[in-house]
Amino acid sequence: MEALTINGIEKQFPSGLPDNLAELLGQIKIKSATVVAEIDGEIIDRDNFSKTKVADGQKIELIRFMGGG
Amino acid sequence: MDKLIIADRQFDSRLLVGTGKFSSSQVMAQAIKACGTEIVTVALRRVDIENENDDILSHIDRSKYLLLPNTSGARDSEEAVRLSKLARAATGINWVKLEVTPDPYYLLPDPVETLKAAEILVKDGFVVLPYINADPVLAKKLQDIGTATVMPLASPIGSNQGLKTRELLEIIIEQSNVPVVVDAGLGMPSHAADAMELGADAVLVNTAIATAKSPMQMATAFKHAVQAGRLAYLSGPAAVTKQAKASSPLTGFLRND
Repeated sequence: MEALTINGIEKQFPSGLPDNLAELLGQIKIKSATVVAEIDGEIIDRDNFSKTKVADGQKIELIRFMGGG
Repeated sequence: MDKLIIADRQFDSRLLVGTGKFSSSQVMAQAIKACGTEIVTVALRRVDIENENDDILSHIDRSKYLLLPNTSGARDSEEAVRLSKLARAATGINWVKLEVTPDPYYLLPDPVETLKAAEILVKDGFVVLPYINADPVLAKKLQDIGTATVMPLASPIGSNQGLKTRELLEIIIEQSNVPVVVDAGLGMPSHAADAMELGADAVLVNTAIATAKSPMQMATAFKHAVQAGRLAYLSGPAAVTKQAKASSPLTGFLRND
């Protein structure tokens, strides 16, 4: 079964991977407007989320701003 | 009041505020409004993919506040550079509060890794505001490689101890040709006023405001303290003497001796 490691957690996709990063965020209900993403260590520009394909076994980091000093 | 200038950008407020530890984003928004700040710091963390996350950015009006992402959590220069680049990708902001704190107990900044990261980030076009120990030699090195400020600590982060590094801060302020922002450990408005009276260009406060019973009132108190401290510094303080010097005339007493 195809899987992605998202923020250190392996997530399986029994009915197949989403086509691209924007679709993935939609599926896991994360608003893309405030998120920054890395795929296998490479930063993906937010403008390119819908153009960026995801593939089995990739490590995806989804990061956002939190309160901090 | 005179303006604070960092990297050619002008600010009326000399109080930078951190957005951590507030009981809610609403309280945070009220506090940053009350203290008149124009620069607020934020941290970058992993999204919790199992739970709905509150989006802090929706509570910060970016036309009013400059967002200053920090690199908190970075243990070395590599992690700090990575976080800086992520922050830039997320917001288009090239300002970064650089902090590298490998020791979780005192959260003291690593001078070697901070200098290393600063060099990389300055070359990459970032406006770098490095959080450092109150080390005049390091402050000078950072300013020489082109950081926009130096941000020496008053005492450990979140400790509310006030100015424990006074003598070293004085040397940093005397030698610096970039703004000195005293960061960390300022627990009361009097501590902030103290730093400003020494000649600091600005201060950064988070815990003292965020964890007060009334963050809004404390934010207002810090606002006034920072203004008072700056005004006192600019007004040229009177000399300190050991012996008393009468404020009232020493003639014309109502006695005949």
